[in-house]
Amino acid sequence: MPLDTSSYSLALLRLDGRRWNELRRITAQISTMPSADGSSYLEMGNTKVLCTVTGPCEGGGTRDRDRADIRVELAIAGFSGVDRKRVGRGDKRVSEMVSTIQSTFASTLFTNLYPQSTIHISLHVLSQDGSLLAALLNASTLALIDAGIPMRDYITASTAGSTSSYSSNDESADPLLDLNTSEEQELPFLTVATLGGSDQVSVLVMETRVQAGRLEGMLAVGVDGCKQVREILDDVVREHGKEVLKSGRL
Amino acid sequence: MTSLKRSLAADPYSANISSKVFVRSTKSGKVQKIVRELYLRQDIPCSSKLCTSCLETAPRDAGGNLPPFVLSATPAGTKKYRSGHYLVPDTNALLNALDLFEQASAFYDVIILQTVLEELRNRSLPLYNRLVGLTKSEDKRYYVFFNDFRLETYVVREFGETINDRNDRAVRKAVQWYGEHLSKAVGKKAAMPAVVMLSDDKDNLRKSKFDGIEAISLHDYVSGLENADQLLDMINVAKEGREVRDAKAAQNLYQEYFSVSKMMTGVKNGTLHQGKFNVSPYNYLEGSIHVPAFDKNLLILGRENINRSVQDDVVVVEVLPKDQWKEPSTKIIEEETMNKDDNADAEDGEAVVSEKERKALQETVQKVHQNSFETNPQPTAKIVGVIKRNWRQYVGHVDKSSVSQSAGRKLQTVFLIPMDKRIPKIRIRTRQASEIVGKRVLVTIDSWDRDSRYPVGHFVRSLGVLETEGAETEALLLEYDVQYRPFPKTVLDCLPKQGHNWVVPPLGDPGWKDRRDLRGLNICSIDPIGCQDIDDALHSSRLPNGNYEVGVHIADVSHFVKPNNAMDAEASMRGTSVYLVDKRIDMLPMLLGTDLCSLKPYVERYAFSAIWEITHNAEIVKAQFTKSVIKSREAFSYEAAQIRVDDTSQQDDLTNSIRDLMMLSKKLGQKRMDAGALSLSSPEVKVQMESETSDPIDVKTKVHLDTMSLVEEFMLLANTSVATKIYDAFPQNAMLRRHGAPPKTNFEELANQLKVRRGVELRTSSSRELADSLDRCVDPNEPFFNTLVRIMATRCMMSAEYFSSGTQGYPEFRHYGLASEIYTHFTSPIRRYADLVAHRQLAAAIDYEPLDPSVRSKGKLEAVCKNINMRHRNAQQAGRASIEYYVGQSLKGRIVEEEGFVMKVFSNGFVVFVPRFGIESLIRLRDLAESEPESDFDAENYILTTSGSREVKVELFQKVVVRISDIKEESTGKRKVKLELVRTGGK
Repeated sequence: MPLDTSSYSLALLRLDGRRWNELRRITAQISTMPSADGSSYLEMGNTKVLCTVTGPCEGGGTRDRDRADIRVELAIAGFSGVDRKRVGRGDKRVSEMVSTIQSTFASTLFTNLYPQSTIHISLHVLSQDGSLLAALLNASTLALIDAGIPMRDYITASTAGSTSSYSSNDESADPLLDLNTSEEQELPFLTVATLGGSDQVSVLVMETRVQAGRLEGMLAVGVDGCKQVREILDDVVREHGKEVLKSGRL
Repeated sequence: MTSLKRSLAADPYSANISSKVFVRSTKSGKVQKIVRELYLRQDIPCSSKLCTSCLETAPRDAGGNLPPFVLSATPAGTKKYRSGHYLVPDTNALLNALDLFEQASAFYDVIILQTVLEELRNRSLPLYNRLVGLTKSEDKRYYVFFNDFRLETYVVREFGETINDRNDRAVRKAVQWYGEHLSKAVGKKAAMPAVVMLSDDKDNLRKSKFDGIEAISLHDYVSGLENADQLLDMINVAKEGREVRDAKAAQNLYQEYFSVSKMMTGVKNGTLHQGKFNVSPYNYLEGSIHVPAFDKNLLILGRENINRSVQDDVVVVEVLPKDQWKEPSTKIIEEETMNKDDNADAEDGEAVVSEKERKALQETVQKVHQNSFETNPQPTAKIVGVIKRNWRQYVGHVDKSSVSQSAGRKLQTVFLIPMDKRIPKIRIRTRQASEIVGKRVLVTIDSWDRDSRYPVGHFVRSLGVLETEGAETEALLLEYDVQYRPFPKTVLDCLPKQGHNWVVPPLGDPGWKDRRDLRGLNICSIDPIGCQDIDDALHSSRLPNGNYEVGVHIADVSHFVKPNNAMDAEASMRGTSVYLVDKRIDMLPMLLGTDLCSLKPYVERYAFSAIWEITHNAEIVKAQFTKSVIKSREAFSYEAAQIRVDDTSQQDDLTNSIRDLMMLSKKLGQKRMDAGALSLSSPEVKVQMESETSDPIDVKTKVHLDTMSLVEEFMLLANTSVATKIYDAFPQNAMLRRHGAPPKTNFEELANQLKVRRGVELRTSSSRELADSLDRCVDPNEPFFNTLVRIMATRCMMSAEYFSSGTQGYPEFRHYGLASEIYTHFTSPIRRYADLVAHRQLAAAIDYEPLDPSVRSKGKLEAVCKNINMRHRNAQQAGRASIEYYVGQSLKGRIVEEEGFVMKVFSNGFVVFVPRFGIESLIRLRDLAESEPESDFDAENYILTTSGSREVKVELFQKVVVRISDIKEESTGKRKVKLELVRTGGK
């Protein structure tokens, strides 16, 4: 039995040696799939996701004739978790994440520019280690930028938790940023996404119980994390732009 | 096309990122490979107050607070380390001697490494929790250094290196780093405290010597301390070196059970014996079993022989050869103290008998061998099979130390400690460990496999927070299997439609058929204060011939509760009402119990009357039984009745009739005593509650009044008369009550104790002789001594039981305690089902109504008897437990000194009974003084002499003064009174 999250209070160190307000290492690349209109590969710690965007292409607009439809597909590889497990199409958790991503980007992309067309976002999870929804949102943002689809600003996401579980109700609990799997299993946490590093929250998902008093701190840390993520993603995009310019592919 | 391969050079983190890969196996046997990131950093402080460089980089929490540095600038030293030292124990040191680290006299300024903490957690969760507790205490100055997260001290496991070797290397590296870091921080100018590794691992010590690291074995280190002798005892000698780590227990811990056919044939031809397994309340490793083939109970000693049996299981045993026969142990062994460091999760590496248990048992065996010439040892046996498990649901609480602190909703294995000390710890797997800690919970045992040391069960539900009234009461009711749910609708439907408005119909109604009109008699009832369910009322009047007419009128419950309806079924299942301190669980619905049946004053009620003509000398001339209608004149409390009788100015008819009754009852009582009835005693106290909040405020011993014996005498008379009558009418299936004569062996110990200590002989051949010899057990200086002996004698008795007359021969009907040839229960039909059956049989016997077939069927009656016997016993125990709980609550936060008496002496403790509160409790040797005093136990004379840290001489029956305080017993979660010996002898 390795140590668990209760050891945080001993030296203010988390299970993987981070402080409360530290992100895991985030690395990302864009234009990883030449065949797609836009693509990205993102790692947040050991969570690894691949995103490809196709479109906007003809057809669609079934719901609203004046706008493009956004279709999201999410495939979680059987080998991505600790146990080898097939995640079926009808999985509730998957469809919930799909609909979150879909509605988020429906309100951020200028879909009105592409009436009666569809934008396909296809996501593949290669490895899971917590903050999965946040990683999916970040990867989608990068791929959509790569595809050149106009959008209001970056959607950047991160998770925030609290060092004490609901039942233990420790007064001096610290908020935590960017949780990994073992922390997610033990602690209350939320996923938050903001628009362009501002305080505009566009996604907020929480499925665990936490004392209402702690929520504010968690949210502040999460939003702050989103800002940091935005900087990292922005660097990735600019770096990529420079490279493209240099290679003269434009 | 771009490649996904990442170039490490471009990654700014690459130097300080690592991953930890480990493999674990799940419960189902699946192997999981876990990969975790490690972020190595350089801002983990050394936490020494000497160091200034760490202060700058030290981390802050979300509130911006800096955790204070822990390690003192001037730590204590020893002869060897004159300038002070910081201690760095390795895992073995902590495993073997955590007690040492908890000492107040030494072991300050200790650095606990993450590696060690993690390893300790793997080995023993309770020890880990204790250590974490230590690190949180401010004065001990324990600091957890996360060496595996610090860049400089992180160690990569080399190829082919075992994890233990890697961890040892990590410890050495951390010690080395600390030394270098501190010398840099302090500079050359001052004397620097040494950083010393404590280890019991020879290999580790050797390697650190090679590397030039300060290291010392625990034993050597402790020898250099001031109070070395005392501390050295705490090192677990048995676990030296590395053997423990590699110890693998045998796969199966217990012997396999015999097959059913083998057991059956064995029992049939007498090689095996069958009986009910009983665990000693003082020693969880000792059980006993009564089998017909032996006079004395067979002893079953040790976990292996007990072989997975639980209290009350019906088991088959094999008697061990005579050279293994032993005396019952004279030592108190509690599971809690023996195995508190067990890890609930660990499946392997646990031997069935822990080292400590083995030792404890051996000591008792040695004692037996020493004086085996003078005493005859008891036969011992081992359990070879279980015929019937009597597992029920158990109430208990989760052992806090077995819970991993914040596993959240992860599945984990924890120990449940049952309230009943005779039940072993139960291992349960739960996802809600953190929620059920500190609660009363209900669990069941599922199985007990050969390869598991403890039974495995599962969580049923939580009853509420420990020590809250609701939870404790429910726990008690569940523990004693009392049916406390509200009555279902089908039962309530059986009640009279009129509800509380029901009245006795006017004369001439069919309800009056064969009923005598006794409304004109001077009937009154005498009961305890506040009694609502009045079962009985009395009257007496003088007849013209100088004799007395005495009537006992009992509530006519059988009129309302007809056989075979839902209410009857419910009542027969409940068997009895249960009286707790703050609560009464009725056998019959309130409407009947406290209103329609209850013989309340001033109203007409149906009754069943027994009326005798009695001469002045209390000779019974004739008896008759009849259904009747009565109107009670007054409901007295015992006290009020007593006052009225004593007040000579009261000369009204009612008072005079009570005086007559009093006079007759005394004569009846004398007759009974002459016949050899026993006056037994049990500790009786009453808890006084504050009326508003119903918090217990005081405990009073019950006072005995003459009016109590008045009522009791006539009830006994009624019961005996009715018993004779129904036995005459139904010789095969009358509901009777018997009290078997106790086997002689039951009194052996008490008789011996009295003989040795007081020179009194206890004769037990008949109840008469016993009563006489009990009367002789007096100590002129100590009036309570007689009561004490009576209490102890009561415990040697058999318990009385209901039976159907067809199942026993007439001589067996005898009620030993009351010295009556035949007896039944007739007088409390509201609260006892047996009485209701007797009522129905009596009604049939006087041709009032035909006997219902169900009361006539032998098999059914036997089933009823069996059930009500069990319910009756449970109700008594529940009542006692309730009093015990409230006595504990009323003493909460108080400390009282009281006189008590030594009731039982063990080789490592004694039991003291405090009459003032009716409590008895164990005082262990280790409770006497900080370090357990040496003791010398003289088993023949029942004298325990201690020497060393405290010198006292404790003798059986001795008067002692004890300090009573309350304590929450860790093992059962109950608040219990705790006794401490102040001095021997009286005040």
